[in-house]
Amino acid sequence: MSSWELEQKALAPIIRLRGVEKSFDDRKRVTALLGVDLEIGGGEMVAIIGPSGSGKSTLLNLIGGLDRPTAGEIHVDSRPLASLTDDELTGLRRDKIGFIFQFFNLLPSLTSLENVSLPLHLRGWPRKRIRDRAHELLELVGLGHRLDHLPDELSGGERQRVAIARALSVYPPILLADEPTGNLDTETGAEILRLMIDLERRLGTTILVVTHDSSVAESCGRTIVLRDGRIVEDRRR
Amino acid sequence: MRLVALLTWPYLRRHKLRSALTIAGIIIGVALFVAMHTANRTVMAAFQTTVDRIAGKTELQISAGETGFPEDILEKVQSHPYVRAAAPVIEAVVATGIPGQGNLLVLGVDMTGDQSLRDYDLEGGDEDVVEDPLVFLAQPDSIIVSRVFAGRNRLETGSRLPLETMDGARRFTVRGIMRAGGMVSAYGGNLAVMDVYAAQMVFGRGRMFDRIDLALQEGVGIEEGRKSLERLLGPGYQIETPESRGKHFESISTALSFSINITSVFALLIGIFIIYNSFSTAVTQRRGEIGVLRALGATRGQVLGLFLAESAAAGLIGSVLGVVCGRLMARGMTLFMSGLVEVSYGANQRPDELAAEPWLMALAVGLGVVASVLGGLLPARAAARVDPVRALQKGRTQVMTAGENRLRRRLAAAILAAALGLLVFGRGNAPFYVSYILLVVALVLFTPALALRLARMLRPAWKRLRPVEGVLAADSLIQAPRRTSATVAALMLSLAMAVGFAGIASASRGSMNAWMRGTMNFDLILTTSETLSSQSYRFPPEVAGEVASIEGVAEIQPVRFGRIMLRGRPTMMVAVDVESVARRITFQVVEGDVSRMTRLAREGRGAIVSDTLALIEGLKLGDILEIETPSGPLRIPVVGTTVDYTDQRGTILIDRELYRRWWKDDSLNIVRVYLNPGADRNAARERIQERIGARHRLFVLTGAEMRAYVERVADQWLGMTYMQLAVAVLVAILGIINSLTVSILDRRRELGVLQAVGATRAQIRHTIWMEALSIGVIGLILGLAMGTVLLYYDFYLLRLNIVGLRLDYEFPVGFSLSLIPVILGAAFVAALWPAESAVRASLVEALEYE
Repeated sequence: MSSWELEQKALAPIIRLRGVEKSFDDRKRVTALLGVDLEIGGGEMVAIIGPSGSGKSTLLNLIGGLDRPTAGEIHVDSRPLASLTDDELTGLRRDKIGFIFQFFNLLPSLTSLENVSLPLHLRGWPRKRIRDRAHELLELVGLGHRLDHLPDELSGGERQRVAIARALSVYPPILLADEPTGNLDTETGAEILRLMIDLERRLGTTILVVTHDSSVAESCGRTIVLRDGRIVEDRRR
Repeated sequence: MRLVALLTWPYLRRHKLRSALTIAGIIIGVALFVAMHTANRTVMAAFQTTVDRIAGKTELQISAGETGFPEDILEKVQSHPYVRAAAPVIEAVVATGIPGQGNLLVLGVDMTGDQSLRDYDLEGGDEDVVEDPLVFLAQPDSIIVSRVFAGRNRLETGSRLPLETMDGARRFTVRGIMRAGGMVSAYGGNLAVMDVYAAQMVFGRGRMFDRIDLALQEGVGIEEGRKSLERLLGPGYQIETPESRGKHFESISTALSFSINITSVFALLIGIFIIYNSFSTAVTQRRGEIGVLRALGATRGQVLGLFLAESAAAGLIGSVLGVVCGRLMARGMTLFMSGLVEVSYGANQRPDELAAEPWLMALAVGLGVVASVLGGLLPARAAARVDPVRALQKGRTQVMTAGENRLRRRLAAAILAAALGLLVFGRGNAPFYVSYILLVVALVLFTPALALRLARMLRPAWKRLRPVEGVLAADSLIQAPRRTSATVAALMLSLAMAVGFAGIASASRGSMNAWMRGTMNFDLILTTSETLSSQSYRFPPEVAGEVASIEGVAEIQPVRFGRIMLRGRPTMMVAVDVESVARRITFQVVEGDVSRMTRLAREGRGAIVSDTLALIEGLKLGDILEIETPSGPLRIPVVGTTVDYTDQRGTILIDRELYRRWWKDDSLNIVRVYLNPGADRNAARERIQERIGARHRLFVLTGAEMRAYVERVADQWLGMTYMQLAVAVLVAILGIINSLTVSILDRRRELGVLQAVGATRAQIRHTIWMEALSIGVIGLILGLAMGTVLLYYDFYLLRLNIVGLRLDYEFPVGFSLSLIPVILGAAFVAALWPAESAVRASLVEALEYE
């Protein structure tokens, strides 16, 4: 993507939150997010940091359409999530958003190739096209030689690469990563981070990373700090 | 389907044992269904095949129930212009006395006329013998046997074959051997032919025939011929095609079909619960996987479809295997049923190959798949509702909310109210059946709430027993009632059904014992064969006089019984000397006055019917029975209703004099003997054997032996109850293993923390064991409670016109108490493997989520 295209894409916010609140009613009411206003432009790489329980993961789940807010509005790719039905939300998630988790969440019974193929099967792609795309993605994350390995046969870093390849299966414009390096050693974590930065640059993907790792935060162009469910700082580099 | 291929197969490979358990549920249900129905069809088909093969070119058969008819009818039939050939037949099953050869079906035919109906394909060199039938007739000890039978026993033309006859054991000479195939394959090849007039003597038929087989003139239609013969003979005769005889057999064995259908439905219902349980377990186990799928963009519909497709696939595999297992089981069950049918109905059949009806297999597979999908429906819906956020958070579980529970309870209460309303205000059979089903549904819906309450009640007791393990076990059930409710429901249902069957068994045995005490009070009984229902042999009338004159004999009661046609159905009729019987036995009167009914019956002015027949046919005092007899229709009023278990479909009791007059038959099936007070029973028995046994085939039993025989036959019927119990135990084991597996998975972290802070492996094991025992205890309490209620319905159901059995409510206390160790033992066995897997799980992995 040319720098002009990237700039044009960045002009319009791809994610927009207005007065978002989220509380849970398990046994006693717990407020996880309170009056969150946020805009994230296309192609941005944003780190969300904050202490445990500050609402980081909740924010990511709401943006990813995995959960619905108690109050406020969320727009993703100009679509208001509140007005979408469950299936429409699923469709948005499938086409626009990729998820990367701390514990990888790969299916243990599937090989790397099958794990990456899974979202494409859900879309009903033809088998040949799925295979080609999964090959391409695993090559992209440097795992072209680990196609038929089960997750148990891969190192932590390799597993996270498979998870990233899976998240990129349809080259979604948004990638949401919850502590992607949290379960990796420093060196592997840095390697994964470099891969994500590379993807942002080459594909123009908007990346939101929830992290405790200061080095991850420093690598991102923008850092949002959450405390007690509120944004207390939003700094750009 | 692609998702199924991608996700399900690897999951099944990783969880082989659990997958096997899931499929085992379907296999059990389908196998029982296939085995019981195949055995039933085989026995029915064996009867029909015997009839068909023996029929040859016979187009119509004339009979008069099981009672036979006088010889002169033959001439009438033969002279009818529509009849091309008519031949008399006597059919009897005879013990060969050769070890391992079982019984021989002997056909008594008239060789002069019979060869135009049946093809006696004799082996070379033997034709001369039967081509001149007069030679055959001239030698009354002649017999022709099949090649199969001859081969098995190394018989040749001229060999001597011992057979039991009414005049004791006699040796017959083999005059011919029939080639294999066609008629000869009837009754498994154990077939012999003899002259009909010799058969009359040998089997005590007097001057009667069992039936006439006939072929019509060319151009005469079967229906046309039948109607014309009906006009000729009057209504006392059944003129039917050979095929329709099978239908009569089916109608007298309704009780067997009814038991089979009930057991099949029960097995399938239990199969549904096992599937439900297994899939609930799978959904819990695969919560993470479902969460990932949802996060990756799988719609709820796709997740629902995935689990439904899995349940259909499991149903298909389990059903196919179930059909295979069912066919294997059917062999044993056919032998069991064939024996049961022989002793209960006296039907001549010898199953040689299993019925292979494609529709039955297809139905079994179809039912298996439908049951599996039904069982998988709720878990699949639960899977589609999995919250991806919670599913992806390690260590968190999604439990049923209180709202759902409330809704379920309200629904259950509404259904229960409807069930009771229908029971109280409903009229007729349909509201009763609906009420039964609604009651079961309501109780199943109540299960989670009741199980939770019982778990709370168990907690203090468990705490006293084991302060840590007991509390953890009870809390595990209290915190996630949904986890165990399916197992508890399945256990409850299967135990309730088993209690129902046992209750009926125990009540019917009690009622039958009371009837036997009142009626089987004779000292000795003379019968012609080992199975009392057999009609192969009959005593000539003079036997009664001979027995009466034996020293020590005070009184005899000759009895003639056989099925006659009442309202188009074969019905058992018993002809006795009512005056003597009324003096000696105690009638258990249901309707009518005992002295009036016996007086009218004695005078030949009334019939006493059994309560069962009254219930099945809706008969009341004063109703007129129209009975078809060889002398025309006999119209006789019902003068009393009593309890009588002589036949499953009920009996008509008339005076023997009336029978003799209308049926022109004075032969006897049994003779009841009362001795003088103080007479030595064994000595009298020996004297009878000596005097009469020397000339007639005879079995002499004491009253106690006779009662024991009837009890043995009843016990064979109760064999079905033990099958229910076996299924209940299997359900307990499969269900509890499933529940515990989920429980351990859900509490992996809790169990890990326990071990980390010092709990020993033994303590963890005890927790799991106690959890299993809790499920067993709760299942037992609810199952016995539900059984108490369902039993009421069961007794009512028996009273309806299908079975017609009026029994008083009786809870099977002994059986229920025996369930306690059985189910708790099964629960403990089921807990062994999950407990080991819990203590051997990796602590590091378990604590990883902390």
